[in-house]
Amino acid sequence: MSLTFPGRGRRAPVEVLRDVNLAVLASENQPIAGPGRERMMVFQQPALFPWLTAAGNVRYGLRLRANRANGNAVDETVADILRLVELDGFANYYPADLSGGMRQRLEIARALAVDPQMLLMDEPLAALDALTRRKMQREVLRIWQETRKTILFVTHDIDEAVLMADRIVAMAHRPSRVLEVRPVELPRPRQREDREVAALVQHLSALLE
Amino acid sequence: MSSRRWLYRLLSPLAAVLAWEAAARLGWLTPLLFPAPSRAFADLSVLIASGYLWKALSASLYRVFCGFAIATGVGVLLGAAMARIQLLDEIIDPIVEILRPISPLALFPLAILWFGIGDGSKIFIIALAASFPVILNTYAGVRDIDANLFRASRSLGASEFETFRGIVLPGCLPHVFTGIRLAWGISLIVIIAAEMVGATVGIGYMVLEAQQTFRTERLFAGIFVIGLIGFATDIGFRRLRRFLLPWYRETER
Repeated sequence: MSLTFPGRGRRAPVEVLRDVNLAVLASENQPIAGPGRERMMVFQQPALFPWLTAAGNVRYGLRLRANRANGNAVDETVADILRLVELDGFANYYPADLSGGMRQRLEIARALAVDPQMLLMDEPLAALDALTRRKMQREVLRIWQETRKTILFVTHDIDEAVLMADRIVAMAHRPSRVLEVRPVELPRPRQREDREVAALVQHLSALLE
Repeated sequence: MSSRRWLYRLLSPLAAVLAWEAAARLGWLTPLLFPAPSRAFADLSVLIASGYLWKALSASLYRVFCGFAIATGVGVLLGAAMARIQLLDEIIDPIVEILRPISPLALFPLAILWFGIGDGSKIFIIALAASFPVILNTYAGVRDIDANLFRASRSLGASEFETFRGIVLPGCLPHVFTGIRLAWGISLIVIIAAEMVGATVGIGYMVLEAQQTFRTERLFAGIFVIGLIGFATDIGFRRLRRFLLPWYRETER
């Protein structure tokens, strides 16, 4: 597998995956022509609609003409997805009244609502404080285990990658290139202190420096 | 707001009026220049009973509503269009920037020539003066929407129209609302001034006439009514905003 990324700033990898040919990673082995609902983005700074409640944000995608065929049980889907991200008690809260971690979960919920095949997460936890970040790492894993969606997770945090990923693609920039593709077969839950985890972190750190 | 806080807020104006009343009754003030508030209120009830106040008020408010409605409609459309269409922005922006600093009253003699001394000239001046804050705030409101919201909307599968309806309209509403509120305040200021320059009926004319006939208590009654309208409508606007924009936080408290 080889992927090259034109140097377009920090955001480049995910943008490229979203926009350009992703035949290698797409689950159906079809070339990807452009942005689409099958691959939903989750940003570092949640791009939630501030005038809609939590439920309204999740509902937004379901109400669009392009997604209406997905079924008419909109309210049920909204409730299910809010429960999945553990925001069911906050359906009527506006984003401004939610904490950072909750907003990030809501962002994931909104993306999941339109039932994509894949989630593209661009440093989704980078803006959170350290404790919330750890909690959200477990949350993302739980959501992944419940939904079995493919998640492409971009991070600068090597620990995070090793704790979470099934497969790590280590990349360097200038020139942009893939340094190593490494499957991670360690059992979950993984701990930072586990010997294999620490070894892999060390290996990747050395590789990236 | 709690009833207790309302009480506190009423306290200082009430004390000022009472002090004034006392000073007037004790003969410390010249009655012709500073009539007792009670006389002004007495005159107000005469104005109400005779129907003169309603006549003046309805004439003024009719002009304000017409001008304000035109300003809001034109302002929102123009501001939104300028924010979305670069060429339009470049054509219209210089015109706005040249006209905006001109006092609307400087144009009033011209408006009288064009539209006569009746309602037309006042409506024109109000519509012109009040449209600027609506244009500028709508423009800022549309431009201010986070670009990521557009991306999020499109990647969820929204069409251009759905994005306009779902993102642009609600997204610019807080700014638009500010613009409309400013426009209303300007409308109230402009109408009084315009009616003092050239009118035969209206609150502004009533106040001017009271001054020219040395009926100072009526002058104060008129000023009180003008203040009351501004005060009451601003409360109305705040209520309306809380109702229309429950998600909006003016400042983080």
